Amino acid sequence: MEMFLMIAAMSLLGVGVCVALFAAATHDVRQAERQANQPAQNAPQFFAPEIATPADRIPIEALLLQIERHVRLEQAAAESFHYAPTAESLHSRSASPLVH
Amino acid sequence: MMNRDLELLAGLHPRDVAAVLSLGHTVALATGDKLFRLGDEADHLFSINRGRIALTMPMAVRDRDENILIEERAAGQTVGWSALIPPHRFSLTAAALVETEVIALPRAALVEYFTGNPDVGYAVTRNIATVIGQRLEVFQAMWLREMQRLVKLSYA
Repeated sequence: MEMFLMIAAMSLLGVGVCVALFAAATHDVRQAERQANQPAQNAPQFFAPEIATPADRIPIEALLLQIERHVRLEQAAAESFHYAPTAESLHSRSASPLVH
Repeated sequence: MMNRDLELLAGLHPRDVAAVLSLGHTVALATGDKLFRLGDEADHLFSINRGRIALTMPMAVRDRDENILIEERAAGQTVGWSALIPPHRFSLTAAALVETEVIALPRAALVEYFTGNPDVGYAVTRNIATVIGQRLEVFQAMWLREMQRLVKLSYA
């Protein structure tokens, strides 16, 4: 009986050591696999096209006109500050489509 | 455009106005013509007789270099004051928005005339200082407004 218990305890200890060694040996492999999978998740996918931002949808000529309008409106706002400098006139809202 | 309405020569006696203008020559520009380009040597100061001039700077818009309007100047106003300010290089590009006529005043002739007529030189320098000062204050305000938006976007 004593012999049987000793063999059983030794077997359990052996299994435990094997599990620990196996886990340590495969840890680096699992980490490498996770890292290898990450770029694939971030890469553009055929069925999930990139979401276009509003600026991307505007034709460049229209965008340039918006920029020009923005500059003119901002300049007018800044000039009103120049002639009547107050904190309110400095931060007055303009109708520029680029800031709304 | 009457000569007395030119911002560059405001406050000068008509005799002095005529004398300064006689130093220059008239340049006619068709729509789209460039008066000067960013980086060019600034050896002339320009007073706009008629028409409109757009002052632009390059900006990358969707990977394309585009000339973006910075300021527009009209008849009676002055462009190209880099001609009188070292390092005498234009920091903007100037192009005619419509058919335009300017008086081109060579820096060398102006400096020589001002040396002999310091009262005229003082008046013209004061007028240019007014133009530069106004532009500086306007652009300070524009810069701060953009900064305010940047702060709102980044830290809202």
